[in-house]
Amino acid sequence: MSSGLAVIGLNHKTAPVEVREKVTFPSNSEGTLTRHILSTPGVVEAVILSTCNRSEVIVQCSPIEEVSRRVIEAIAAINGVDPVTLRKYSYIKMGSDAVRHVFRVASSLDSMVLGEPQILGQVKDSFKRDSSAGTIGPYLSRLMHRAFFTAKRVRNETGIGLAAVSVAYAAVELAKKILGDLEDKSVLLIGAGEMAELTAKHLIGQVMRPICVTNRTFENACKLADDFSGEALRMEQLSMALAQADIVVSSTGACEPVIKAVDIKNVMKTRKYRPMFLIDIAVPRDIEPEANDIDGVYLYNIDDLQTVVSENLGERMNEALKAEDIVSDEVKKFMDWTKTLDLAPTIVALREKLEKIRCGEISRMNGKLSKLDDNQREILEIITKSIINKIAHDPISFLKKTKSANRKEVNSDIVQKVFNLHGFSTSMDNLEDTFEDEADNRN
Amino acid sequence: MDLIFFKIAVVLYIVSSVNFLVFLLGSSAMNCPVGNWTARLGFACHTLSILHRSFFSGFFPLATPFDVLSVFAWLIIGIYLLAMLRDASPIFGAMVAPMAVVLMIVGATLSYQIKEPIVPILHSWWLPIHVSFALAGNSVFAIMAIVGLMYIFQERLIKKKKLGRTHKLLPSLEILDLVNRRGLPIGFFLMTVGIVSGALWAGSAWGFYWSWDPKETWSLITWFAYAAMVHQRMVLGWRGKKAAIMAIIGFGLVLFTFIGVSVLFSGHHSFRNPVLGTTAS
Repeated sequence: MSSGLAVIGLNHKTAPVEVREKVTFPSNSEGTLTRHILSTPGVVEAVILSTCNRSEVIVQCSPIEEVSRRVIEAIAAINGVDPVTLRKYSYIKMGSDAVRHVFRVASSLDSMVLGEPQILGQVKDSFKRDSSAGTIGPYLSRLMHRAFFTAKRVRNETGIGLAAVSVAYAAVELAKKILGDLEDKSVLLIGAGEMAELTAKHLIGQVMRPICVTNRTFENACKLADDFSGEALRMEQLSMALAQADIVVSSTGACEPVIKAVDIKNVMKTRKYRPMFLIDIAVPRDIEPEANDIDGVYLYNIDDLQTVVSENLGERMNEALKAEDIVSDEVKKFMDWTKTLDLAPTIVALREKLEKIRCGEISRMNGKLSKLDDNQREILEIITKSIINKIAHDPISFLKKTKSANRKEVNSDIVQKVFNLHGFSTSMDNLEDTFEDEADNRN
Repeated sequence: MDLIFFKIAVVLYIVSSVNFLVFLLGSSAMNCPVGNWTARLGFACHTLSILHRSFFSGFFPLATPFDVLSVFAWLIIGIYLLAMLRDASPIFGAMVAPMAVVLMIVGATLSYQIKEPIVPILHSWWLPIHVSFALAGNSVFAIMAIVGLMYIFQERLIKKKKLGRTHKLLPSLEILDLVNRRGLPIGFFLMTVGIVSGALWAGSAWGFYWSWDPKETWSLITWFAYAAMVHQRMVLGWRGKKAAIMAIIGFGLVLFTFIGVSVLFSGHHSFRNPVLGTTAS
C-alpha cells in the first residue's frame, strides 16, 4: 500500500542558513498555510513545523511518492523559492522512517544543540495551531501525541538535558550548585567583554538584586551598568564590592592579577565566610589561582568552564544513545498500531467487489430489464443494494470484532481469501468513504 | 505478626538500598522511583510492626535494644521520607536506606525476646519520653552527619572541578549547609530534653538524678560537643566544611555513647544486668 506518513523538510544538517532563512512559512500563525498544504491533492492530514533550525511538513497522504513531490512544489510556492533548489536541500522520509524522524525531533535528538528543551514546546505549539486549523486527523493526532510521550520518556529516563553545554549556562548551573537559589544573591562584574556580558545576561535572569559593575574607566562601567540596570562602581571600591557580591565575573584586560588571593582571604572575614563563586574569564587571568584554596571560595577560569562544557557534551552524546533505544521502542509501538488500520482497505475492497458484482449483473440483464419504468428501476437498485449490504455485514463485523493486532491481520487475510479480494487496491479517498458509510450505518 | 512486618520492612529496605545503589552507578535520570516506593512501603510495614509491638507488650516498645534500634531506623527513614516531600537526592536515599537496614539487623541479632517480662523499672511513663527524645535527637544527628558527608564530597568535587554525575546528583552546597543549620538546634533541643528527662526519671526511680554511670558521662560529653557546635555556628559564624566535619565528629560521639558504651561498660543503662533496679535503690 503506498499511502502513509511522509515528512518533507530541511534542517541545519541538510541546508545552509541562506536556504533555511527563506523557507520559514511566514504568516502561518493561524494555520492558513497548513490548510493550503492540505489542499494539495492526495494529502489527507498535515502539520507544519517551523523553528529557527528546521522547516518541516508532516503529511498523511496517498500515494506517498507522488504526493511528496507535489508537497515540495507547494512548499516552494508558499515560500517563493525555486523547487529544484528546495529539493536539493530537503529530505523526504516515509513510513516508519518518517515516524522515527518525528519522534527524534520532538525528543531533541535531531536538534543543533543536542537535548535542548525548547523543541518540544515548538512541536506542541505547531500541533495546537494546526489542530484548531482543522488539518489534523486521527492519524497525525495519534502520531503527535506519541511523539510528546516519547519526548517525555527520553527526558525522564535519560540525562540528555541535564548537563549545560554553553560556558555561560554552565557558569549559572555551577553557581546554583554552590549558592543554591540565586534570587537573593548579588553579582559583581569587573571589566567588560563579550563573554562577561553573556554570562551576566544569563545570571540576570536568575538574580533579583541589582548587578554591580566596575571598570578601570568609570564611564564604561556606567554604560554597562545602564544596560543591566545595575550600579556602577569605581575600581577603588572593589574590596567593598567583593565583600557584598556572591558571584564575581571578571574579565579585564589587565596584565597583572586584579584580585590577589590575600584580598579574598581578608574579604572572607568581612563576609562572615559566606561562600563566593569567582568566574575569571580574562586571559591573562584576573584572579590569582590560589584563591581557590581558600575555604568557601570557588574559583573557575575560562578553561575550567570550557572543560566542563566539553565533558557535558560528551555526556549528552552518551545519553543520546539510550534515547535512540527509547525512540526505536516507541516507533515499533506506533507501527503496530498502524497495522491495525489495515482493516479498512479490506473492508473497502469487499464493498467494492460486491458493488462491482451488483452493477455487473444489472448491466448484464439490462436488455431484459428495459421494460421497467423509472420507479421500478429505483426499487431494483434499492433491493440489490440491500442484498449486498446484508451479505457484507457479517464478514465486516467479524473483522471488527477482533481486538488483537495479530488476529486482525489473520482475519483480514481470511476475508480477503474467501472473497478473493486480491487485486482490489484501494485509494485513500475510498477509505474515507468507508468511514463515512459506517457513520451513516450507525445512524 | 510484628516480626513478619519487621522482616518485610527489612527486605523492602534492602530492595530499596540496592535500587538506590544500582541507580547511582548506572542510570542517568534524576529520580529513582522504585527506590523511593519500596522505602515508603517498607516504612508502612515498619510502622505496623512498631504499632503491633506496642499493643502486644502493652507498652511503648522501647525496652529492648531490638526495639530501640528499630525505632531509631524508623525515625531516620521517616525523616528521609519527609525530606523527600520537598526534594531529596537519591544519594540521600542510598545512604539512609542501608543505614536503617544495618540498624535493624544489628538490633534483631542483639535481642529479640518479646516473651521475657520487661524489667519493672522500665514500666514508667518516663521510658517513652526519655528514650524517644534521646532517639529523635540521635536521628537528627545521624541525618546531619550524612548531610555533612555529602557536603564534604560535593565541596571537594567543586574545588577539584570534577563536575560529573555525582556532582549533579548531590544537592547544592547551600541546601546541604542549610539542613545542618536547621537540624542543629532541633537535634540539640531533643537531646537536652532526653538527658533532662532521664535525670528526672532517675530521680523519681532511684532518688538521685545523676550517678555518673558510663552512659550518663558519655552523653554529657556528647552534649558538650554539640553545645560547642551550636556556639561555633551561632556566634563565630562557622559554616560549610567546618560545620560539616563537626557534624560527623559529633555523630561519632553519639554512636559511641549509644552503642559503644553499652557494649564496653556496664552500668544501670545496661539492662541485660539482672540486678538492675536493685543496685541503685
